[in-house]
Amino acid sequence: MSVLEVSNLVKRFDGVLAVDDLSFSVAPGEIFGFLGGNGAGKTTTLRMVLDIIRPTSGSIQVLGSAPGRRNAQAIGFLPEERGLYAGMSAIDTIVYFGRLKGMDAGEARRRGMDLLTRFDLADRAKSDIGDMSKGMAQKVQLATSLVNDPELLMLDEPFSGLDPVNQGLLENEILRASERGAAVIFSTHVMQHAERLCDRLLLLKKGSKRFEGTLEEARAALPARLVASAKEDLSRIPGVARAASGDGVEDGWHDWTLHLEPGVPAADILEYCTANGIALRRWDEHQASLHDVFVRMVGEEPAPARAEKEIAA
Amino acid sequence: MNRSASMNGILLVAAREIRQILKMKSFWLTLLILPVALAIGPLFAETLEDDEPTRVAVVDRSGGQTAEALEARFAAEDAQWLLRDLSRYVQRYDLESADPEAPWAQHDRWYTGADIAAFEASGGLDAALAKIDAVRPEGVPEFEPDMPDYSFEPAPPELANAQGDSFGEAARALFDADDDTAPEIVVLIGEGYPADPRIQLFSADQPRGSFVSTMQEVLTNDLRARLLASQGVSPANAAAVQSAAPVIAVDTPPPGGGARETLLVRSIVPLALAYILMMSLMLSGSWMLQGSVEERSNKLLESLLACIRPEDLMYGKLLGSLSVGLLMILVWGACAGAAAYATQGAISDMIRPALEPVSSPGIIAAILFFFIAGYILISALFVAIGAMVDSMSEAQGYLMPVLLLILLPITFLIQAILAGNSGWMVQVLTWVPLWTPFTVMARLGMGIEWWEMVGSGILLAATIVLELVLIGRLFRASLLSTGQKPSLKKIVERFRSTPA
Repeated sequence: MSVLEVSNLVKRFDGVLAVDDLSFSVAPGEIFGFLGGNGAGKTTTLRMVLDIIRPTSGSIQVLGSAPGRRNAQAIGFLPEERGLYAGMSAIDTIVYFGRLKGMDAGEARRRGMDLLTRFDLADRAKSDIGDMSKGMAQKVQLATSLVNDPELLMLDEPFSGLDPVNQGLLENEILRASERGAAVIFSTHVMQHAERLCDRLLLLKKGSKRFEGTLEEARAALPARLVASAKEDLSRIPGVARAASGDGVEDGWHDWTLHLEPGVPAADILEYCTANGIALRRWDEHQASLHDVFVRMVGEEPAPARAEKEIAA
Repeated sequence: MNRSASMNGILLVAAREIRQILKMKSFWLTLLILPVALAIGPLFAETLEDDEPTRVAVVDRSGGQTAEALEARFAAEDAQWLLRDLSRYVQRYDLESADPEAPWAQHDRWYTGADIAAFEASGGLDAALAKIDAVRPEGVPEFEPDMPDYSFEPAPPELANAQGDSFGEAARALFDADDDTAPEIVVLIGEGYPADPRIQLFSADQPRGSFVSTMQEVLTNDLRARLLASQGVSPANAAAVQSAAPVIAVDTPPPGGGARETLLVRSIVPLALAYILMMSLMLSGSWMLQGSVEERSNKLLESLLACIRPEDLMYGKLLGSLSVGLLMILVWGACAGAAAYATQGAISDMIRPALEPVSSPGIIAAILFFFIAGYILISALFVAIGAMVDSMSEAQGYLMPVLLLILLPITFLIQAILAGNSGWMVQVLTWVPLWTPFTVMARLGMGIEWWEMVGSGILLAATIVLELVLIGRLFRASLLSTGQKPSLKKIVERFRSTPA
């Protein structure tokens, strides 16, 4: 049974189509990447799952029931825009959110202290959020979303604004939640995180789904490219869509850049060459990266990872 | 289960709001202002009461009895005040049994010369106090007579011999001498009086109007008596002519019937209630607004809304604000009570008749209803503002018109009620829900028809229900749309939006 089941979801704002006939599902223990450019509809979809806004049409099933605050005790959510009450202490903040999700105060405090200890903040538990650095406050906010051991953890652009150390900490928490059996959804436009973590991913453009599947499936969806050095003309090999020969290197050898037809693995070309006695001096396979897939399917550059590495104040 | 989760959320939000406000220094400052004022007030009153009588010296060179007549007249006036004060004291502590026939045991009447004469004849204040002390129960304070306004003293020798301009100079020299026994007012009745009817009055400060008019009256009587005598009218006839005057019977209507003083006393507590409601609303409202603005500007809302319905968040805020307001009023009330108990004097005397219009259970229930309803009604407006703005400075822009809308009519209302006026404006204010709580409470002293109270109360309750529905929608629709200034059209759209 899936933790989250979205079918034919549509959301319209003042005539603008924000989410267009979106369907997907997330299973327990799965890490699900929600990829798309700005305004692709990622946040809108997550808000509909949380019942903060209601869909125009379509259905959402969270743990087998319609979205609503009764699910709050099973959900952990980290919004893209983060902030906490400046005048509240770290542990009080975590307990407050834990209790809003239906936990009792003692349990919330115990879990909160565990998380703060894990995040190396145990000695700051009683400090006001206003007296903490931005990085610390972000860890406290992550703790508020984890305090109830959610079955569905939703993180909206969780890596933005985190320093590399905290990015590592967050990756660990995502893996830990998944090992515990929780379904984790996170939206991002930094492909490196998605490549490292996601079991499956979904690419959104202007509210509609462009791709859903595993990382391998995503890469396979783009034709492979390879560079080979041969004396023969490689453009005639079956499965090669385009070929360009570079300058002669020496003694009649040429560097060929081959673009394969979609679905043709590079291994087929190698096999053909071997079987037909085509001598090769160089063989570089370039599998499409998630970055390439994103650019190709969404039609825009994803954010470069280094721009995200703001050093926490 | 769902309902209890919702209630749980409301209570959690309310508790957090309360904790946040209790952490504010401004809250504690405001809370302490009233007790401090109550503590300082009696000190001021003490210094104000410490008013020495004004020293008057009369130099009578005409050889007549004018000086004595003046002195007797002021003594009679003092006696009249004394009788009135004594009568109030006796009435306040139910001491009439001391001597039911005495003038001071008969209240709410104008004491005539005959009453004063009877009072003096029966031994004056000392005799009266002796009778009262005999029946005065334990705990009732002793009667403390006020100081007379004027004390007549013999003219200092430097005045007795001064003539012409030098008299005035001598008088002014006395005023400037900074001597605690020197006269502050000097009256010179010349040798030529009454043929030359000029009287000279020298005063260190601007003399009181009442002093001058009383003096004028006494001197006029004296002058006429002398003129009548010089015309051959016998002194007895002359006195008869002088004392011919209409008898004015003063009839004090029962409380609430329009007597200004009674009305004032009865309206003190109701007006104070209306005023306190207004004050605590302004304060707790603006604190709540700060909290809402913090939630918006700190991007907290999305995290909160993942756990709690927007309506519950709003109800929680209202409940928090209401609790803080009631707490504030409870503390103030306790302080006022403690002050009244501690002083046992002016304050408690004033409060006793003042509490009369607000002491029946029905009225107390009505006060509670209008208080809480008023709180919810106005606080919800603050919530609406909080939902639409991103910063405190932006909030001020909305806040000013709302505050003016509430405050201005109430300022007029308080004046109208103090003037005993229940004209059309007070009627209108009673029936416009925004002002109903203040007006009904302020009118309790003057007396308000029960149907007016019930009718306007029902209207108020209906308005609150409608308001909460509309503002709930506005709140929901506005919460996540930060950054954009809502136009009037947008706001109206948000009112109409169904929870979608």
